[in-house]
Amino acid sequence: MIRRLVVLMLLVGGAVLLEPLGAPTEGVIAPRSLFLFGILLLTADTFGAVAHDLRTPRLVGYLLAGLALGPSVAGVVPAGVLEDLSMMKRLAVGLIGLLAGAELRIGDLRDRWRIVGSILTFQTVTVIALLLGATLLLQRWIPFLAGLDREAVFFVALLFAVLLTVNSPMVTLALLTETRASGPLARTTLGVVLVADVVIILLFTGAFSLAQASLGTAVGAPDIMMGLLRGVFGSMLAGALVGGVLSLYLRFVKRELVLFAVVVVFATAAAAQELEFELLLSLLVAGFLVENVAPVRAEPLLEALHQMAVPVFVIFFALAGAELHVQGFLALWPVVLGVALIRMGGIYVAATGGSRVGQAEPAVSRYVWTGLVSQAGVALGLATIVADRLPVVGIAMQTMVIGVVAFNESVGPILFRWGLLRAQEVKVT
Amino acid sequence: MQTTLAALAVITVGYILAYLVFDRLRDRFGYVGGAEYVVIGFLLGPRVTGLLGAEQVQDLTPIVSLALGWLGMLLGTYFRLPALAIIEASHLRIAFTEAVTTFGCALAALLALFHYVSGYAWTEAAVQAVTLAAVATLSSTAAIDAVTRKSGQVSPIFPVLQLTARIDALVAVAAFGLLLAIFHLGQVSLKVRPPTATEWAVINLAVGVSSGVLFHLFLGPRTHLQEAEGNSRLFVALAGAIVVASGASYYLNLSPIYTNLVLGFILANSGSSHRDVTRLLLNTERPVYLALLIFAGAAWSPSSPELLFVAPMFVIIRLGARFLGGWVAGGPAAPAGLKTPRLGRALLAQGGIAVALAVNYTQVRPDLNADLVLTATLVSVLLFDIVASREAGDVVGRTSGSMASVPEDAPRAEPMPQ
Repeated sequence: MIRRLVVLMLLVGGAVLLEPLGAPTEGVIAPRSLFLFGILLLTADTFGAVAHDLRTPRLVGYLLAGLALGPSVAGVVPAGVLEDLSMMKRLAVGLIGLLAGAELRIGDLRDRWRIVGSILTFQTVTVIALLLGATLLLQRWIPFLAGLDREAVFFVALLFAVLLTVNSPMVTLALLTETRASGPLARTTLGVVLVADVVIILLFTGAFSLAQASLGTAVGAPDIMMGLLRGVFGSMLAGALVGGVLSLYLRFVKRELVLFAVVVVFATAAAAQELEFELLLSLLVAGFLVENVAPVRAEPLLEALHQMAVPVFVIFFALAGAELHVQGFLALWPVVLGVALIRMGGIYVAATGGSRVGQAEPAVSRYVWTGLVSQAGVALGLATIVADRLPVVGIAMQTMVIGVVAFNESVGPILFRWGLLRAQEVKVT
Repeated sequence: MQTTLAALAVITVGYILAYLVFDRLRDRFGYVGGAEYVVIGFLLGPRVTGLLGAEQVQDLTPIVSLALGWLGMLLGTYFRLPALAIIEASHLRIAFTEAVTTFGCALAALLALFHYVSGYAWTEAAVQAVTLAAVATLSSTAAIDAVTRKSGQVSPIFPVLQLTARIDALVAVAAFGLLLAIFHLGQVSLKVRPPTATEWAVINLAVGVSSGVLFHLFLGPRTHLQEAEGNSRLFVALAGAIVVASGASYYLNLSPIYTNLVLGFILANSGSSHRDVTRLLLNTERPVYLALLIFAGAAWSPSSPELLFVAPMFVIIRLGARFLGGWVAGGPAAPAGLKTPRLGRALLAQGGIAVALAVNYTQVRPDLNADLVLTATLVSVLLFDIVASREAGDVVGRTSGSMASVPEDAPRAEPMPQ
């Protein structure tokens, strides 16, 4: 570890020495970003190894590496560099979506639909109700509720509660890949977080338009609602198309699958930007269709995606860590911590109750909550939409959401790993 | 929305058609290339659908630089000193003679073409000529491998061809690296004296050597790698190392391929993890090459009318230089048992580093006929990939028969060390 850190410091020192000789031309794009991306990868790998030695998930190490180098802490990787690397993150999100969809087997869902459905229902209702109540009770200390009338306070608080109900398919999948866990707990958690992803986007659409109406900016609310719904169904349609292309490729070509997957994800990311649909959701649907519906063997694709999984997770979580704003957490830490703990308590109660009602195995009932605490990209993405479209209130809410997500992103993976270990589903410690 | 959907449809149909055509070539001629990937890139690029526009190309710089560096590093790992030390002197003589003669002939012809025919000043002519001569010198054993796999014939000349292909690549990458150092572009900070050409060459080498030493330390002993998750973690570490070294090279406007070649050489000759590194680089060579083809296709924007003349001329010059280089190396320079005057015909395939050099040229010298260099390279790579297997098969067939009459004490080809 010390050797590696010394090497990294020497690399950065060497770069400083070379600074006066820098002579990039317009044809060479952002060499500084490239160099820092490499440093970020190496640091993430090093921190991941340390995290592993400390018996915590590697992805916590990746996140901490990003956080340490990012604008919030050391500032070695400034915000402009993160912007230069946004396509890398989008590619990583797309590949994770494809992998997540392909991991979701219809047989598992059919076997466990009662458990998944009941946990999901309990989680959604309980967490939203608890967080709504808590937000209303703590409204004096919550900046984005200041100065709003009663109706607006209620609906904005509801939107906040819905945002915090989001889970993280990325963290779940990364951890299952890292530990190679398999068993009822792993399958149930994956099922819940993936189905929740779709449910929450629909709920968010409703809550968002209600909040808009209550704030008096409802002029475009139906349009926005239609836009978001179109986004959801458009994503599913795009996913079906991409799934069709992938199936044809698997049926007739079946060569260079790693490369083809990257090209497909890239083309989908470009189309998603143009047509405003959700990249993660569309590729999740595509992966699910290839695995479960298409008349082809999806194993080669799954194998190719697994080959890429570790580098993709390193890129995603290191960049996600670098984008975390610690200031958002520090400025409001008592409230943020309180909200995060209430959310965690709600998840514990809901998941335990839901799994008992669904007659899940004892290990699932006991530990499934640990897999539902994590939050990452989806929650941040929805918070960005709120910040963009609800001036003042949205930006203040985003700061708080980022604080809660930062906490959940750090604690969630450690909890889930612990849960998987206790359920004895971990293959690689 | 309709435009985007139409773009996706064009890409899908275009790819399927290209795949069908080249698959037929694969079956009939043992085609070893990946032209359909250039087609995908071209269809994705700004010239057709625009899904991969200038901004997206910029966003993908990390992947492209990783691909360039990856091929450079792989080349560097071939030159492991203990293994090189046991190679027959005659093999090295053949390889170096072929590489230097081919490079020299191509350079002379291309200089004449750019200066006397196209009318460029000597400096501009030299930059383009050296780049294209380096591309012309590059060869690949892909066609020989394909023939060997298909026919089951093992030619005794095969190890010589393998060595020659690697020396070709070494000469080409070194020449290109030196070119960017000697004709260095860009202003340095006012606080320092602008380095001379020699100093830039030394700086380029120093960046590679220091990166190599630091990454040797970073990777640590082999046991450490084995304890880890294996290939995936090594992939991340290598990708990080390559991107860092490439970033430093781009920053100085030097060649990341050359820097990573030196980095690969250091890693191959230090520590005990060289086998893991080489194996991983080899396993991922093909997808990396194809990714580069896609990018090259996207960046391809033929516009200059000069292309219609220069690209065919380049193909002819390469063919001539290759045959001449092969004739000198496999004839007068070869010992009795290894006489192969048609050596050049077995080395027509060009491989990934040719595309890498051309892509690198478009990045560091966009001001000087980047389109022309890229087009000439792509035309040459795609064309020679089609005919390479048939020509290589012919050479393999002849040498397999002729070796029966070789005397017992004649020097034998040794397999190329890994």
